[in-house]
Amino acid sequence: MRNHDLVIIGAGLAGMRAALEGVKAGIDVAIISKIHPLRSHSCAAQGGINAAINPKDSRESHAFDTVKGADYIGDEDAIQLMCQEAPEAILEMDRMGTPFSRLEGGLIAQRPFGGASFDRTCYAADRTGQVLLHTLWEQLVKAGVHVYEECSVFRLVTHTDGHVAGAVVYDIKTGEVFPVAGKAVLMATGGYGRVFFSNTNATTCTGDGMALALRAGAPLADMEFVQFHPTGLLTTGVLVTEGARGEGGYLINANGDRFMSKYAPKKLELASRDVVSRAEQTEIMEGRGKNGAVFLDLRHLGAEKILERLPQIRQLSIDLEGVDPIHHPIPIRPTAHYSMGGIRTDKFGASPLPGLFSAGEAACVSVHGANRLGGNSLLDTIVFGKITGQHASQYVKTQSQRDFPVSELVEVKGRIGTLKRGKGMRAPELLERMSRALNLHCGVFRNPEGMQEMVNQLPGLRQEYERVSVQDQSEVFNIDLIRAWELGNLLDLAECIARGALARQESRGAHSRTDFPNRDDQNWRRHTISHWNANQGVVTLSYEDVRTLGLPEYEPMVRSY
Amino acid sequence: MPVYTFRIQRNWTTEQGKLESHYRDYSLEVSATTTVLLALEEIRSSQDGTLTFRQSCRSAICGSCAMKISGRTRLACKTHVGDVARDGVVELAPMANQPVIKDLVVDIGPFYRKVHKIKPYLEDGPEQAHTLDKSAYDQVNHVTQCIMCGCCYSDCTMLEVSKEFVGPAALAKAFRVVADPREGQKTMRLRDLSEPSMMWSCSRCAMCVESCPKDVKPMEAIVKLRTRGMAKGFVDGPGAKHALAFHQDIQKWGDLNEFTLLQRTVGILGAVAELGTAWHLLKKGKIPSPFPHKAEGVEELRRIYQLLEEHPIDVETKAKEVVPE
Repeated sequence: MRNHDLVIIGAGLAGMRAALEGVKAGIDVAIISKIHPLRSHSCAAQGGINAAINPKDSRESHAFDTVKGADYIGDEDAIQLMCQEAPEAILEMDRMGTPFSRLEGGLIAQRPFGGASFDRTCYAADRTGQVLLHTLWEQLVKAGVHVYEECSVFRLVTHTDGHVAGAVVYDIKTGEVFPVAGKAVLMATGGYGRVFFSNTNATTCTGDGMALALRAGAPLADMEFVQFHPTGLLTTGVLVTEGARGEGGYLINANGDRFMSKYAPKKLELASRDVVSRAEQTEIMEGRGKNGAVFLDLRHLGAEKILERLPQIRQLSIDLEGVDPIHHPIPIRPTAHYSMGGIRTDKFGASPLPGLFSAGEAACVSVHGANRLGGNSLLDTIVFGKITGQHASQYVKTQSQRDFPVSELVEVKGRIGTLKRGKGMRAPELLERMSRALNLHCGVFRNPEGMQEMVNQLPGLRQEYERVSVQDQSEVFNIDLIRAWELGNLLDLAECIARGALARQESRGAHSRTDFPNRDDQNWRRHTISHWNANQGVVTLSYEDVRTLGLPEYEPMVRSY
Repeated sequence: MPVYTFRIQRNWTTEQGKLESHYRDYSLEVSATTTVLLALEEIRSSQDGTLTFRQSCRSAICGSCAMKISGRTRLACKTHVGDVARDGVVELAPMANQPVIKDLVVDIGPFYRKVHKIKPYLEDGPEQAHTLDKSAYDQVNHVTQCIMCGCCYSDCTMLEVSKEFVGPAALAKAFRVVADPREGQKTMRLRDLSEPSMMWSCSRCAMCVESCPKDVKPMEAIVKLRTRGMAKGFVDGPGAKHALAFHQDIQKWGDLNEFTLLQRTVGILGAVAELGTAWHLLKKGKIPSPFPHKAEGVEELRRIYQLLEEHPIDVETKAKEVVPE
């Protein structure tokens, strides 16, 4: 049997950063990834990564902005840790080879980002994620870390004592199903954007790790908090960086008015993402949009600045929307972008399930609370990839390998056979039905009837999924089968989102209810925890207090920008 | 909306392990500005779930969906159907120069093994700079746009005839490392890159510059590597000798002395080994004159050389200055 001390699932920024810590600690570490590491969605992060590296800035100020941005439901110990470690994490990436944009004199350049009280977002033009990802991959190659490429994990396996024992892996290239045993597993599988019909995410962002963890008995936290990015391209939902507004871009409605002055008079376009998305949605709903879009106007920046600072954005607008932002405003709309929720962990990335760790978007540490600030997600992956990698590496040194229950392998093979024999609807059709419903009922604004309707639809969708059909019967590169499998994961996560949203009777951060428009700290300043109830086949909820530090500056106040 | 025919090469391996291949047509009504990737996804969803291709980000940054589209390797996610259709037909096939696994999916292993071969990471060493200024990455920036999609590798005309060639993407990555002020082993790398099948194996056909979806211009990176390698004294290989012989002839005569060029490139023994070819050429009356021909106005040419040596220009950027990003 293949076995390693630490098995990391996912080869994006968090997974690769963690793997490097495993190498440093001298343990046997391997990564399993359903795509080549360089294809990971971390590469699509455009605008930048936050850190208080300017002497005039402070880590405390970064932490305060993050606590406030999170709408007071982020765990304060984790937020402090992240902001404390941020400058060193950036400098490490710099030393490894990331070509950050520089100022005269060689200091790393920084740009303004939403919700931040200082220009603290470091960047490499508008492809920060891509250069970070390539840097970590370079180090991974240098260290010779073993990667199971194009291998999907179909089950997270626990021993009878409840401790993690490894994973059941499906090799996409060959169709082989095999066990990979590990003393610990670290989930770094990213987010689940595909659960929404309109999203900025890659087709591979199906939240596999969260669903695997949930089914293995680990709790997920705050799944109802979904970030809608204010600037997704109208037709495809593909992302236009917040950096475009950071560089001075305006948001205008169909009448050409800069509407943000109504909603966030001080910060305007650079208010927090939840605020801007709601403003756009309101403009669209009140009839001041065009074809369901408002516009990002960069024309006044001039061709030179656009070409220098936002070259990729310009090309994307031309390629995907047929609009050259030098001459015309770009049609955009709020689009599902990021999952604040995820596998519940402490500030060292350990989940309550013994032997399971998690980092990056897959995890809920929670540093983003109810709303993530732009530039904090890349930071989350680098900082908590490192910290969780360190802790998991030390942890496995104290553990013995648990026996891998072979029955799990048989079950997975049986499940694959059942999927291939299905006679019902095909996965793409069922996914569309589910994701459209979720967009409609659990979007930027949520009303009780809609959320209830979503919850009501779930059993029917699950029934339909039991019969889902797969046309491709081959063993080699069966993407039809993979899509069907991923849909099962998305269904579990949709249930967490819908139930969590319906139960939370307040508006906080990205969760905005029409019937409870205000934040309710008395009753709801707490995390929603989702559990899988295997007996009934449903998701159940419990609640957990926010980890606070009792600092006066972190006391909840009205969030205005 | 117009109806397009997508003529797609279907590939599969038989139970005997043999790769079978045929084209199948799919009709789809889409607008001309639809991306090929969206069209493929629609065909897979609504017509044929067995149609197989890689994809992920949908925004030309992950590099998954490179394939031959109407004869040229492109990213399906940034290619508009209307731009590549010929008489309403869009022809799709897997990338070239790589083993095919299934339909439009190739084995990316050999490509990446070659990238690994150039040691794609910064190393410590004596040539490492410890301070950087604003222009530190002017040379590096455009090469770091590379997403390792393999378009250049698939369209490389040298790889068609020489499987050993490391390829444009790997060399662009090599330049990315060599040109970084923080790299500590620049000279050692240039020595390794002067070995056979590395930077001197490129024929400078510029196909990689044409097919790169991220404007990396691998060939220009290769030219710069060669210049840097020669400047470090790595001039013993046939590639460097050829370049030097060219340089000498042009500077001296303003024209090539092709009669002696071969001998100066591969040496006397190497030239002897090519006698068969020479005989063949002789029979066809193609052997050039052994006497050097002096071009008219060669003095002017020498002044150009002198001027360039006094004021070197950056070949990569042609006329435009590199914009620091």
